[in-house]
Amino acid sequence: MSTIKEFLTSDHGRCDEYFADMEKNATESLEGAKESCEAFIHETEKHFQMEERVMFEEFESKTGMTEGPTAMMRHEHAQMRGLMAQMLEAIEAGNKDKFFGTTETFMILQQQHNMKEEQMLYPMAQQHLSAESDRIIDMMSSLIVE
Amino acid sequence: MELNGLSIDQAPPLSAPIRFFVTAPLFGLIAGILMFFNDSSVLMGRFAVDSIVIAHALTIGFLGFTMLGALTQMLPVLVGAKMPRVEFVAKYSYILLTLGLLSMIFGMLAQNAIVTSMAAFGLGGGFLMMIGSMAIALKGVKNFTPTVKAISTSLVFATLVVFMGLFLLYSYIVQDINELHMIIANIHSVWAVFGFAGILIIGVAFQVLPMFYVAPKFKSFCKKRVVWLISTGLVMWLLFTLFKEEWTLFAKLWIATFFWAFATTVWLKLNKRRRPISDVTVWYWRTASIFLTLGSFLWIFDEYFKHEYVVMVGILIGGGFIMSIMVGMIYKVVPFLVWFHLNGMGYMSIPTMNEMISKKLSYLQFGTFLASLIGFVFAFYVPELLQISSLSFIISMLLLEYNVIAPILVYRKILKTKPDFDMSAFK
Repeated sequence: MSTIKEFLTSDHGRCDEYFADMEKNATESLEGAKESCEAFIHETEKHFQMEERVMFEEFESKTGMTEGPTAMMRHEHAQMRGLMAQMLEAIEAGNKDKFFGTTETFMILQQQHNMKEEQMLYPMAQQHLSAESDRIIDMMSSLIVE
Repeated sequence: MELNGLSIDQAPPLSAPIRFFVTAPLFGLIAGILMFFNDSSVLMGRFAVDSIVIAHALTIGFLGFTMLGALTQMLPVLVGAKMPRVEFVAKYSYILLTLGLLSMIFGMLAQNAIVTSMAAFGLGGGFLMMIGSMAIALKGVKNFTPTVKAISTSLVFATLVVFMGLFLLYSYIVQDINELHMIIANIHSVWAVFGFAGILIIGVAFQVLPMFYVAPKFKSFCKKRVVWLISTGLVMWLLFTLFKEEWTLFAKLWIATFFWAFATTVWLKLNKRRRPISDVTVWYWRTASIFLTLGSFLWIFDEYFKHEYVVMVGILIGGGFIMSIMVGMIYKVVPFLVWFHLNGMGYMSIPTMNEMISKKLSYLQFGTFLASLIGFVFAFYVPELLQISSLSFIISMLLLEYNVIAPILVYRKILKTKPDFDMSAFK
């Protein structure tokens, strides 16, 4: 089985694919991109919840760090949720410029966020949680989005 | 484990990187004006004082400022460590570098030893302060990724380039331009272009291209070996230049091959990118790729023409490759930083990145910049082209300055009007 770091890193790549599909559809027709936008938001939300409800919780209880890196990551998740809501609003309003302006901002924010996770938080999590790695990955895989 | 990069206040204040981005086009403007009032026959000589001054207004003033501004912002993200006392370092190194570069421009043009001495003090102090602070940040890194390795390597080259630059300035101060000066000048320029800027760009591209454009990742061989191979080539080139001049061509071939391979890889990766968006930054990456290819070949070719084309190589690589990438990066970074800081303060009604800079003006800026580059190349054969190309370059720098300031005006306006606290709708 893969490590927590590998599992969540590859999930970032999976979300990127959904993002690219959404943008591709939106260039053809903004209205037609609604479905792929919802799919992208659902998958990204799942990723956020895998972290917030499983991995961050485990990390925080193991290390006692509740105000440290996980708090920062939760804050950035909130920022990205705000932008995802704006993407849907732009589609509803038929405003292509607003949509692509928001996806551009989202992309940079998210990639910067992913980089911090992949290079700092995941290696730390792997180090502290390696003994329970399989169990944590199982829990994340079977998570149902709330 | 270093945690600074993940703390809530991990990002340096907006002013730290922004002041470098706002100033860069102004130095570009100075270079453009100097070119406009110059003669192409003078500028064809790399050791003419005017050529040196214009080259440094661009390499330090535009490229150096942009790179330092970007590194101030990116190190916490890429490395996970905040530069020690980043506000202090960014502010005072900026003041030293600005005064230093202005002194270099006026001191060398007026052949004034005192002003040129001030240049050495300002530039040496400013660069070493910045590089030292970054080195301390890099020292604590545990996760040594290829990008971190590339940034570290490029900073080693940068330090050596700065010391060589100080030596060169010293020989202007004491008016002793001897054979050693020429040798050091040659090493200084090649290491600055390929060792500092080139390696830095390659290292950052490993991260940025796959990330921002959802392009395929760089191959593991590329990420693990290329920086090392280029550095070896640059050291080999140095040894041959000093001890076995007839062999320098082999080292040049070695270095140029890897840069040409990088240029081709960038082009192919952009073709395979999953994001369909084609904004001005994609055009800048493509331009950089073409000019790097041409520049690498001409650098080799130049060996057979007694270095007659070395200034043209400088235009192709320094202007077409490095400057294109820097301008493209400014277009992504500045509006994002404005959005990021406003959002971090709790504002929600913020214009999107695309609304902060006019698309039309960014393409107009790109067009005038590209036209000036092509004009500068052909000015070697048609000297009359220098003035019109300089004019086009001046316009492109003015447009760039406007495009950098526009998002900052948005930032100021939002801080002033506080749109999220607007209760007029409830009246």
